[in-house]
Amino acid sequence: MIVCLAVVGHQNNPLYIQSFTEADDALKLHHMVHCSVDVIDERVDNPKKSGPTINETFLGLLCPTENYKVYGYLTNTKVKFILVTTDLDVRDADMRTFFRRFHAAYVDAVSNPFHVPGKKITSKTFAERVATIVKSFGLTTTG
Amino acid sequence: MGREVSESCVESLVAEIVSSYCRGFYADKPELAAPRIEAIGFQVGHQLSERYTMDRPRFTDHLEAIKFICKDFWSELFKKQIDNLKTNHRGTFVLQDNRFRWLAHMSVDPSVETTGSIQDPSAMAENRAAQATGLHLYFPCGIIRGALSNLGIPCAVSADISNLPACSFVVRIKA
Repeated sequence: MIVCLAVVGHQNNPLYIQSFTEADDALKLHHMVHCSVDVIDERVDNPKKSGPTINETFLGLLCPTENYKVYGYLTNTKVKFILVTTDLDVRDADMRTFFRRFHAAYVDAVSNPFHVPGKKITSKTFAERVATIVKSFGLTTTG
Repeated sequence: MGREVSESCVESLVAEIVSSYCRGFYADKPELAAPRIEAIGFQVGHQLSERYTMDRPRFTDHLEAIKFICKDFWSELFKKQIDNLKTNHRGTFVLQDNRFRWLAHMSVDPSVETTGSIQDPSAMAENRAAQATGLHLYFPCGIIRGALSNLGIPCAVSADISNLPACSFVVRIKA
């Protein structure tokens, strides 16, 4: 189950952060997102360590902690998408599909002429689309 | 998303932006119109680059990003690629389009005013053509600047219209 989704801008400023659990550990999830941003930066700045997939947008598993898995995705415009999930076995292909749909929703939200680049995404349509994507992701993996 | 707009609408809109800003909003301060139009182009380029880089792997260096602008970005906007790309390998790129779409239908009145000046008539007409079309190039310069800055390359873009309908965009990357 996806517990948290975050979009971080190219200056590491948060553009969108949404948790999907009723539990009160929003702070812990935000902290985890913050740490994963550092992991992404490390991977991007050390091309020798990350191997041949340096130019891919999907970065894969960032840091497995005891209960959660954190996945990262870096766009061409240096915007980072971070996803925290409690699922133990997630297929790579599912993750990529999820990030592709999320990227499409993000692009549509940013193309809004009333959106100020660098500020948080406040569009309700974006929030609804993201909720739909998260829900359908949950259905495809557990179904 | 699949929705399309007719090209003549886009051309008319761009021409009208220039006309309203230069003769309407900033009629008494025409030098302020150009940066304003360029800023609009900047935001448009910023958002368009987000959309058109969606399915691509990340760029390794500045040249890759400029080549993206010349090929994919330009074909999405103008249905053709940049015809010629030159660089001095020190941060300056010249993108030449031999028939810039938004200027293709522009005509300048070739009649010469009888103000008693002794300028060569063809040079005067060329000068007025250059002035009129120069204003229409701030928007595409802004688009290029916005797209490149969203890819992490701060730069300054200017246009060169020495021989219409070909026009060149000079991109100077800030070190």
